[in-house]
Amino acid sequence: MPYDALIAIIPALPIAGFVFTALAGRRLQASYGRNAASAVPIAVVILSWLAGMAVAYGALTHADPFGATGHAMTLWRWIPAGAFQVDAGFFVDGLTACLLIVVTTIGMLVHIYSIGYMSHDPGTWRFFAYLNLFMTSMLVLVLASSWLVVFVAWELVGLSSYLLIGFWYRKRSAALASKKAFIVNRVGDVGFALGIMAIFVNTGTLDIRTSIERLIAPGAVLTVPIVVVALLVFSGAMGKSAQFPLHVWLPDAMEGPTPVSALIHAATMVNAGVYLVARANPIFGHAQGAMLVVAAIGIFTAILAASIAFTQTDIKRVLAYSTLSQLGYMFAALGVGAWTAAIFHLMAHGFFKGLLFLDSGSVIHAVHEEQDMRRMGGLWRKIPITYGTMLIGSLAIAGIPPLAGFFSKDEILGEAFKNGFLVVWAVGFVVAGMTAFYMFRLMGMTFWGPSHVDPAIEPTIHESPRSMTVSLVLLAIPSVLIGMVLGLPFGGGLLKTWLEPVFGETVALSGHAEAGFALFGIDGALIIASVAVATLGIVVAWRFFGIELGPLRSEPRPKAVVAIAEANGATRFLYRASLNKWWFDELNDLLFIRIGGRLAMAAWWFDRNVVDGTVNGIGSVAVGFGRGLRRVQTGRVQNYALGIAIGLIVMAGSYLVIAGR
Amino acid sequence: MTNSLDAYLILSALLFCIGTFGFLARRNAISMLMSIELMLNGVNLAIVAFGAFNPHLREQGSIIALIVIAVAAGEATVGLAIVMAIFRNRRTPLVDEYDSMRQ
Repeated sequence: MPYDALIAIIPALPIAGFVFTALAGRRLQASYGRNAASAVPIAVVILSWLAGMAVAYGALTHADPFGATGHAMTLWRWIPAGAFQVDAGFFVDGLTACLLIVVTTIGMLVHIYSIGYMSHDPGTWRFFAYLNLFMTSMLVLVLASSWLVVFVAWELVGLSSYLLIGFWYRKRSAALASKKAFIVNRVGDVGFALGIMAIFVNTGTLDIRTSIERLIAPGAVLTVPIVVVALLVFSGAMGKSAQFPLHVWLPDAMEGPTPVSALIHAATMVNAGVYLVARANPIFGHAQGAMLVVAAIGIFTAILAASIAFTQTDIKRVLAYSTLSQLGYMFAALGVGAWTAAIFHLMAHGFFKGLLFLDSGSVIHAVHEEQDMRRMGGLWRKIPITYGTMLIGSLAIAGIPPLAGFFSKDEILGEAFKNGFLVVWAVGFVVAGMTAFYMFRLMGMTFWGPSHVDPAIEPTIHESPRSMTVSLVLLAIPSVLIGMVLGLPFGGGLLKTWLEPVFGETVALSGHAEAGFALFGIDGALIIASVAVATLGIVVAWRFFGIELGPLRSEPRPKAVVAIAEANGATRFLYRASLNKWWFDELNDLLFIRIGGRLAMAAWWFDRNVVDGTVNGIGSVAVGFGRGLRRVQTGRVQNYALGIAIGLIVMAGSYLVIAGR
Repeated sequence: MTNSLDAYLILSALLFCIGTFGFLARRNAISMLMSIELMLNGVNLAIVAFGAFNPHLREQGSIIALIVIAVAAGEATVGLAIVMAIFRNRRTPLVDEYDSMRQ
C-alpha cells in the first residue's frame, strides 16, 4: 500500500528530525555551525511536505484507497485492554487533506524563514528541534483516527507551544507567558478529556468515525446527552483556539520568536480547535444548542479581540488580537452551520496570517528587535519586499477582492445571513470593518507616515536575508490566489466539492435550505456591503494614520486620534477598555490569583488545622495516655510483686465471693 | 483442734503470708528468694495436709508435694544464678537499684 506508507511517513519524518537534532544538534552546531544543525530539520520538513502534498492530492482526487469518504489505516493496536481497545492509526479524508496542505506548507516555509531569523541566536539547534517536534504533533493531530491519539497530539502541540513560547527562557516575561499558555490550555483540555470519556461511555469505542456513527445513530441510548458531549469537546477547542474566556494566553504567547508566532499561534496550532469541531461536525449537527453556543462565543471573541486590536502598539500583539478575531469568525461559521466556509477561512487565514506574522518578524528584524509601532514609520522604502508582501497580507485579511480573505470572510457572512443568524451577521459585518481599520492602522504606523525610528539605528535598516524574503513571497502567492482557486465560482468552488463528503450530511440535517447562489440578488448585495465596510475601515485608518501608496497620500493625524479618544465619557471609556484589553488579565488576576488564592489559603488552613488536626489529635491523645501510664512502670521489682499480690488477692477474693453465694 | 486439717491449713497460710510479706518488703534479692521458698513450703504443707486427711488424695498429695519440691529446687538454682549474675554486674544485691528497664 504505497499510500499507507506515505501517510505514515508524514509525521515520522519530523519526529526523526526532532530526535536527531535533540541528540546531535548541539554538537553539530558547535563543530560545523548553525546551518549544519538546521539542515536535517529543514530537510525532513520539506520531505514531509512532499509526502503531505502527495497524500492530499490523492485524497482530494478520491484516488484508490481514499474514495470519497476517506481512508483509514491502523499502525498497531496501542491499548489492548479487554473491552477497551485503542488503535494507533491514521485517517485521511478531504478535511484532513485541507489541514495537511496548510500545516505542511506553512510549516516548511516557516522553517526556511527561521534560517535567517534565528541566525543570531545561540540556540538555533534547540529551536529547530522544537519546531520539528511541533510539526510531528500537529500532523499526528490532524491525521489521527482515534480520539485518544488526537488527545495525545493535542497535549504535544501544547507542550511544543510551551517550549517555543518560552524559547528565550532567560527572559522573565517569556517564561511567564509560556506558563500562562500552558495553564490556560489545561483548563480547556480538562473539558476535552471529559468529552472523550463521555464519548467512550456512550459508545464503547474511541475510534473517531465509529464513535460518531454510534453517537448519532437513530434510537441510540446515550448515558451522557449529546449536547454535553459537544460542549465538552468544544471546551477543548476553546482552549487551543483561544476563544473567550480562554483567549488570554494567545497575546502573551507573542513573547516567543516570531516564526513561532506565525506557525503555531497564527497558522496551525490555534486552528486545531476549529479542526476538532469540524471533525466532530455530526455530533454538533445533532446538538443544535451546542452550535448556538459555538456561534455566540465565536462572534463575541471576534468583536472583543478586534476592539482590543484598535489600540495595541506592539506590532505582534495587534496581529495576535487579529488572529483571535479571525478564529472567532471561524467558530461563528462553525456555529451557524457554514462548515465549509469555516475551513475555507482556516486555510486562507493560515496563509495570510502566517505571512503577516513573518512580515512583522522581518520588520522587527529590520529595526533591531523593536516591536513598538510608535517607534517605527516610513519603513516602506527601506524594506520593499517586506512592505509589499505585508500590504498583500493586509488587503487579504481586510477582505478586499480578489484576495483570499474576501472569499472566505464573505462566505461566512453570507451563510450566517442566509441561515438566519442575523445577529452573527451584523456583528461579523462590523468586525470586517474593524479588521480593515486596525490592519491599515498597523500599516500606517509601520510603513507610512514619518519615521519615529531611533536615529542611531535608522541608517542600518536593511531588508532581511534571502531565506526570509523567499518565504514571504511564497506565502504571498497563496494569500492572493487561494481564495480564487478554492472559492470560485461563488457558491460552489473546489473546496465545496472537496469537503462535501465530510459535511454533506450535517448540512442537510441543519434544515437550512441550500439557497441558490444569486450574484445579482441577496449574495451580490452582501458582497457589496462587506467590501464597502472593509473599504470604509481602510479609508478611516489612512485618514488617521497616514498612507503613501501610489497617488494616495495622507499625513497621519495623531491629534485627531487623541481628540476622538477624549471626545466624551463613552469614547474615553472605550479607549481605555481597548487599551487595557477589557481588563481581562486584571479580572483573571482578581478571580483566580486573589479570590482563588484566598480560597486556596482557606482550604490549606482547613487542611492543616482541621484535617491534620484531627489526625494529629488522635495521635497525641495516644501519646499522652501512654506518657501517663509510663509512671506505672517504676522498674522496681517490689512494685510489680505488689501488683501481682494485689491481683492475686482480688482474684481469689472475688472467687470466694462468687463461689460463696 | 489438734490433729485437724484446719490447724495445718492455718499454719500453711501463715507460712505463705510471711513469705509474701518477706517478698514484698525485703530489698535484698537473696532474702526475696528465701521468701519465695517460704511461700512454696506453705503451699506444700497445705497439699500434704490435704493428702493426709483425704483418703482419695493420699497418693496424689504426696506426688504433687514431691514435684513441688523438685521444681522449687530447680527454681532456687536458677534464681540464685540470676541473682549472682546481676550482682556481678551491678555490685549490689538490692533490687530497687536494678532499674535499668525504667524509662
